[in-house]
Amino acid sequence: MNTRPEDLHRPDSAGPDRRSFLKGAAGLVVAFAFVRPAAAAAAQPASAAASFASPDAGKLYAWLAINPDNTATLFTGKVEVGTGLETALAQIAAEELELPIDQLDVVMGTTSLTVDQGPTYGSMSVRYAGPQIRHAAAAARKALLDLGADHFKLPAQQLLAKNGKISEIGNPSQSITYGELVGGKRLDIDIGATGTGFDMNVAPSAPVKDPSTYTVVGQSVRRKDIPGKVTGQLTYIHDVKVDGMLHGRVVRPFGIGAQLVSVDETGLKDIPGFVQVVRRGNFLGVVAETQWAAIQAADKLGSNLDPQGPTAGQAKWSDWQGLPPQEEIWDTLRKTVGGNTSVAAQGSVDMALPFAAKTLQATYETPFQMHGSIGPSCAIADVKKDGATFWVGTQMPHETRGDMATLLGLAVDQIEFNWYEASGAYGRNGLDHVIADAAVMSQAVGRPVRVQWMRWDEHGWEPKGPAIVQDLTGALDKDGNVTAWRHHMWVPTTSDTRLIAVEEVGGFPTIGSIGLGGPAITYAYSFANADVSVHGEGRVGMMTSWLRSPAQFETTYAMEAFLDELAAAANQDPLSFRLRYLTDQRAIDVLRAAADAYGWESRPSPAKPQQGNLAKGRGVAWVNRDDARVATIADITVDRDTGEIRVKRVVVAHDCGLVINPDGIKNQIEGNIVQSLSRTLHEEVTFDRAHVTSRDWQGYPILRFEEIPDEIEIVLVNNTPQYPSYGAGEPSTCPTAAVISNAVFDAVGVRLRRTPFRPERVKAAISGAS
Amino acid sequence: MPQSITINVNGQDHAIDADPDSMLLYALRDNLGLHGPKFGCGLAQCGACTVIIDGAATRSCVMPLSSVGASKVTTLEGLGTTEHPHPVQQAFIDEQAVQCGYCINGMIMVAKAFLDTNPHPTRDQIIGALNDNLCRCGTHMRIVRAVQRAAQAMQEGAQG
Repeated sequence: MNTRPEDLHRPDSAGPDRRSFLKGAAGLVVAFAFVRPAAAAAAQPASAAASFASPDAGKLYAWLAINPDNTATLFTGKVEVGTGLETALAQIAAEELELPIDQLDVVMGTTSLTVDQGPTYGSMSVRYAGPQIRHAAAAARKALLDLGADHFKLPAQQLLAKNGKISEIGNPSQSITYGELVGGKRLDIDIGATGTGFDMNVAPSAPVKDPSTYTVVGQSVRRKDIPGKVTGQLTYIHDVKVDGMLHGRVVRPFGIGAQLVSVDETGLKDIPGFVQVVRRGNFLGVVAETQWAAIQAADKLGSNLDPQGPTAGQAKWSDWQGLPPQEEIWDTLRKTVGGNTSVAAQGSVDMALPFAAKTLQATYETPFQMHGSIGPSCAIADVKKDGATFWVGTQMPHETRGDMATLLGLAVDQIEFNWYEASGAYGRNGLDHVIADAAVMSQAVGRPVRVQWMRWDEHGWEPKGPAIVQDLTGALDKDGNVTAWRHHMWVPTTSDTRLIAVEEVGGFPTIGSIGLGGPAITYAYSFANADVSVHGEGRVGMMTSWLRSPAQFETTYAMEAFLDELAAAANQDPLSFRLRYLTDQRAIDVLRAAADAYGWESRPSPAKPQQGNLAKGRGVAWVNRDDARVATIADITVDRDTGEIRVKRVVVAHDCGLVINPDGIKNQIEGNIVQSLSRTLHEEVTFDRAHVTSRDWQGYPILRFEEIPDEIEIVLVNNTPQYPSYGAGEPSTCPTAAVISNAVFDAVGVRLRRTPFRPERVKAAISGAS
Repeated sequence: MPQSITINVNGQDHAIDADPDSMLLYALRDNLGLHGPKFGCGLAQCGACTVIIDGAATRSCVMPLSSVGASKVTTLEGLGTTEHPHPVQQAFIDEQAVQCGYCINGMIMVAKAFLDTNPHPTRDQIIGALNDNLCRCGTHMRIVRAVQRAAQAMQEGAQG
């Protein structure tokens, strides 16, 4: 999608009712002839009368426009985050609309042009926004048939909607294009909508197609965004320029909770292009005419890769040392007061344990990890007294617009968010925070300000996925049956929605909340005695928020690795052992499909002793994440001398129900596997008592090309209309750490219970065991 | 202090007003309005800013304008367009080797410079060439396949 959303508001010379915009990637000019009152008002500079209200979800024009050139435009509050969602939603709409997908453009996220369908997160977009768009597009097809009936003076039942045309069944000479039929008018038709966000029910009576007749859904349609991305023609949020725009950089405290004591501005005015320092409470930033000037000014104040202390720069901070010691983080978690949630309470583990033939106990520890977007967070704000315009890349434009209304003391409808794609975020990274930074700076200087974080801002200040500790106990009887299972988790919040700038400025009404960590696990085993519970906590140490498969990447690791421990203690094949205790048919389906594709031979772990430095192993694990089922099997080698793990072959069986775009799903699964391998093998945020110390890619290494698997084979399971479409953005991340841990045990008989599995740690575990 | 500097980008000389100590990346993006090269880290660690200078893949985020001189700079825009993509760009489209796409500029520019001097690479050589470029979406498997496909296409193009 390469439409500049603000261009949609801009009246062209034909008058205020007509707008046009360039569709850069395809080189098409699409003329808009429909009227959107809110957007027409938005064409004027922000004024007291300006309203950027989102369209009424119960109107067809809120979702679709039919253009005179027989193209259509789909409007969705969802956004593209690199997962192919734009194309998947376009497929759903094109299917129902009976329009070639190349003739359908998609406008995403911009708040005055789209309905709030909830944030784009949690593998929930195709699942929830898909049906909303399907019904809206089906309502549009019905509306077009009704228009055709009027046009041809025939009953609608005698007409066919196909290939962008309405024609008489059996008489193709009676035919008219959608564009001709609509004649540039807005689709001002009531389709009805109830509820909000994910739960919104749109056009409930629309005649949706029978899935057995689908021709576009289920096809590997090429993604709409890729040509623009490989040529530099797609406009990312980082590429947007606004007239009169200044460049801002933040200067964060040396210590996370430090107070700003003083700012010495000596020398700043000597930097060509420097404009001013923005200081408000503990918020500190600089604004300049060029990026280079802003970077130099921020550096003088203390923003750089390796700051030497709270008073080393020209901005002086109090000496804050409030973080727990990194090596004590898991003990800190256990001591933090929170709330308990029981996930499973079956029988009595305490009564069963004394009768066990064998009892196992283990603790699994996982560190803070980061989203690590390749492109740093970026946003532009133009704040005026009676309105504000933003250019953003957030995964939740509608929600963050509300936060900006609170911050600026404006009504929501006085604020416009023009949405552009950002670098992949994989959750709540800095993209919302940078919007608040830009708002504070623009408000201070009275001009549009573009803020882009530096790499150390991103690594240091993006909200992290939390450190988690998990204790497990399992019991076996003399025949190797599981008689008791206990899994206790200490999970800090994965939903801190506060904003850094707001906290630094202080004195605002509350924006966002911290919350407690929740039960990020789906327990599906049928053990007679089971106690699975989560000790949810607030913020422990640094700001934490959702990172791809929030906390379930970690809980799946512990659950599926400890299950492997029990299987090994019972001397049983780890796949059969799982299947014995599962009743969930879709879980069984994916495990069997993965095993078939892999060619699984039944045997217990570890494998027979192997000669040489390189030991081979295999591992299996599965997950139910957001109702998708995924089973992963991998072959690895472990170098006993160096501790290096190499992943050779990965087989993934994936059931997310009806697949919209098979190649798109495979792209997502490959991405989840590679990213979760990176999290398993490499990733750990480091920190001292003051702040994050892994502030670049050397401090926080991620997986490189030389470590990718030889192959990733993917089997799509239960891809039939019998099942609705669940999500694929996250689930295949979850099993990976357990798979690799189990494979290492299979190879060398050593159990890895703390991520990441860096070579020195693996080597130490091997030496400790021998 | 800003001064007028002439740089040759995508076959054309451009006179720009900028601080000679500032980095080439900002001149390309802010003065020339090019969007191919991206700011990723500013530390030459990730490769998102890669351009080709006199045939060599170069990190523009750490290259001072003063050192560009008369060198010929090629950006992603200099390879091809959506209507007429370069074979490497076409291969990335054909393999659908993109997710968010922020790193892809670097992948394509490194691959282009690499294939120009290594027209018959093995998979391992391609992996070696790309190893200093970071991708966070995990598109690696497809990127490698795309470069393999591009090598093949360019070879066939050379023969044809």
